[in-house]
Amino acid sequence: MTAFRGLGLLLAGLLLTACSTTGGNPQANDPYEQTNRDIFDFDMRLDRHVLLPTAEVYRDVVPEVARDGVHNVLLNLNSPVVFANDLLQGEATRGGETLARFVLNSTIGIGGLIDIAAKIGIPYHDEDFGQTLGVWGAVEGPYMVMPFFGPSNPRDLVGSGVDIAFDPNTYISYNYKFYWSLGRGVFSILDMRSRTIDTLAGIERGSVDYYASVRSLYRQNRANEIANGKQDVTDLPDF
Amino acid sequence: MTDMPSAVVAPVSFGRRALLALAFLVALPFAFAPSPAAAANPAETFVDQNVQKGLAILTNRSLSDPQRKMQFRNFLLSLIDLDRVALFTLGPARRTATDAEKAQFVDAFREFAVSIYESRLSAFSGQTLKVTGSQPTGRGDTIVKTTLVDPNASSNQPLPVSFRVSNSDGKQVVIDVNVLGVWLAIEERDQFSSFLGDHGNSVAALIAHLKDLTAQMRAGAPLPGQK
Repeated sequence: MTAFRGLGLLLAGLLLTACSTTGGNPQANDPYEQTNRDIFDFDMRLDRHVLLPTAEVYRDVVPEVARDGVHNVLLNLNSPVVFANDLLQGEATRGGETLARFVLNSTIGIGGLIDIAAKIGIPYHDEDFGQTLGVWGAVEGPYMVMPFFGPSNPRDLVGSGVDIAFDPNTYISYNYKFYWSLGRGVFSILDMRSRTIDTLAGIERGSVDYYASVRSLYRQNRANEIANGKQDVTDLPDF
Repeated sequence: MTDMPSAVVAPVSFGRRALLALAFLVALPFAFAPSPAAAANPAETFVDQNVQKGLAILTNRSLSDPQRKMQFRNFLLSLIDLDRVALFTLGPARRTATDAEKAQFVDAFREFAVSIYESRLSAFSGQTLKVTGSQPTGRGDTIVKTTLVDPNASSNQPLPVSFRVSNSDGKQVVIDVNVLGVWLAIEERDQFSSFLGDHGNSVAALIAHLKDLTAQMRAGAPLPGQK
């Protein structure tokens, strides 16, 4: 309960300081940069020695069709969270799409293994409570790098906590729940990393400052996600 | 107790979003294809024509690798106003740098940018871009929106790519590219600002670093931990 009260206070604080910063091109907003860089270095070492080699084995050993199936199942399992946030953002049509995707993919798509919905023109879209807070006007707060989990900010941290509450898996009891949840977590990480091996290597190789690059990419991308891809282009910087 | 694994999944998801968003950035320069739709305005026509021009270079089997590199380089230099982009990425340091530093920086940036694309030319595998519309900015430029079509991708999720088209001396040029909400020149500027902040705002240090990176890129040096 204390954790929830803490989240509530943080949430209230974010909303109180809310202003319209959901678009545009934010400057670094990184008051804890040195700490963040230290954690980033730790995350990078972990990536190089554990995560990347594991993801490479996963990519090289598991056939693509199986990896795609895992990816689709993971997206499908996230549907309740996306659906709840669609509705909280007042996006009824997108909520309908998420619901339709979940029903189609869970049934005809064999428990989410095949993304039938995308094939008939209802592609996946992501939502989370961090984005919902952004839509409601909460500021992102200072940039933060989390041990193990990478880029974030207070708004997205609160969001990820609340999203756990939107996931039915949090409430349902069943046998071997611990192992299922752990497996889901492990495959989420493997799926994410194995799909970005070449891309991240390319970005790192072409980076003058990889930390600053990831920070900019994360913050711009989150602003775009909050705007559902419809960013205001009238306030772009002058060249 | 049972919250633990979920807690593992949830924080990973926002890192994943950022990473997935990046997953396509590198494919970007190779994404050129003819668009079947008739373009509706000059900026859209410009992007559409250049998409076809770029694809023609990438798919021309009669070119040797060095020839392709050279043609693609010339294509990029005619398409993108790299001098203007370079000075933008310098950020506030642009105001304090000497003319000589700016000229050297523009040269270093041009080679750096081209080398990034050169290093990934071999990754092209039939990706295409389809112009889907455009929108004016508040600065007299036009954002031309396209969708990346990747014949090899297993998912049917559309990937948005936008070009910021501007007029330089009466000639249309691209000054920034957006992939999944990330403006690349802005991202570059953010990196350079950070580098300059760590190096006493020395533009000379940035130029030297860019030259090093360009040389590494052209030598194809692997990253630590990479196969």
